[in-house]
Amino acid sequence: MAKARTLDKRRKAIRNIHKITRTMELISRANFSRAMARAVSATAYTKRITALVGHLARSGLNVTHPLMQPHEPVRSGVLLVLTSNRGLCGGYNAAVFRLAASRWNAMVEEMPGPCLEVVGKRGISAFRFRGVQPRQSFTHFNDKPAFAEVEVLANRYQEEYLAGRLDRLEIAYTRFESLSRQVAVVETLLPLGALVSEEVGGNDANHGASPAAYEFFPSPEAILEEVVPTSFKIKLFKCFLDAAVSEQIARMTAMKAATENAEAMIEALTMTYNRARQGQITSEMLEVLGGAEALNE
Amino acid sequence: MTSQIQCLIVTPEKTVVDQRADFAALPLYDGELGVAPGHTPMIGRLGSGELRIRAAEGTRRFYVEGGFVEVLDNVVTVLTSRALPAEEINPDVVAEQLRAARSRPARSDEEFAERDRLAAQYRAQARVARRAQQAAR
Repeated sequence: MAKARTLDKRRKAIRNIHKITRTMELISRANFSRAMARAVSATAYTKRITALVGHLARSGLNVTHPLMQPHEPVRSGVLLVLTSNRGLCGGYNAAVFRLAASRWNAMVEEMPGPCLEVVGKRGISAFRFRGVQPRQSFTHFNDKPAFAEVEVLANRYQEEYLAGRLDRLEIAYTRFESLSRQVAVVETLLPLGALVSEEVGGNDANHGASPAAYEFFPSPEAILEEVVPTSFKIKLFKCFLDAAVSEQIARMTAMKAATENAEAMIEALTMTYNRARQGQITSEMLEVLGGAEALNE
Repeated sequence: MTSQIQCLIVTPEKTVVDQRADFAALPLYDGELGVAPGHTPMIGRLGSGELRIRAAEGTRRFYVEGGFVEVLDNVVTVLTSRALPAEEINPDVVAEQLRAARSRPARSDEEFAERDRLAAQYRAQARVARRAQQAAR
């Protein structure tokens, strides 16, 4: 009965897996706290930009910009899908992909010139499996997307939108809501939605100071001209950061579950192994006893 | 009226500076602007150039690239896409980048504009680094 040996081998293999998954969990935990810190700083920036727009709006300026004007009819749209480069992160990529794929099918029917752009190896291969060729794909965004890199993308979209070659930009990514809640969503980034909506009301309540007390250099209009593209960029950047944070959380949870599973499996296997070994010893002993008895007779 | 201002420099990636200061000089799009305590509320567009923060413990210099500044109630908030401490700029590297930017082929108007913009940014960086070195001496 060589069963005990194979059981032991299996147990060793699972121990190795256990070690690996635990390490991966620890790594993604460290990455997560870093990504989280970056997301928080980006939020600080976003808040200030929104406040600035609020002040502009209160100076009696009509907040409009070519980036905020919807194009009718929508002829060409871009769907940008944010997935991760690496797997082993539970349902993270699957959730984004499921949503993106259904949106993509709708886009193909809605408009004559839809374009697909995918970030992350996982998404690229998932779309390739479906037989959809993305117009552009990126794999250089890692778990810490740099603003400069995202800015390049943002500039291109902006240019295309202003030139009329792009009528709509949608992004499918995982939005981070809280530690225990991340949702895959599709959002429209261009045309840019309202920048101030809820902010204006809140600001008025906070300090009802004279609204037009600001001096503007060079003029509110010129500043608005700059603020709107900036807030578009930061919005896109925020999506990347959210996706990075959510990916780390997903990996953390997945690896934690894997580690726990491995532990349970090791325990169960140890039990079976011990029983098998005991059985082996017993049968060997019985053989020896049987042999001795046969000799005695 | 307080005799100090609160200086904040925020980039999308992190908050670079959050300190009290006596005076701040900001590179606006068309020239430098000084902000002392009690400045009137304002919002301005920044160009690329040197930002100085003078406080009791010394002057800090930064290179900032575009963005906005908001002054309200003695709080100066600078929103910029890039803020580099002047000590971290390596003049040799910048000179090399400037040379590369200037030798970029440019055929269309946009390419010319892009080249000029890049060159101007590197020149501003070099200037900031130079001034920081002079100040250190």
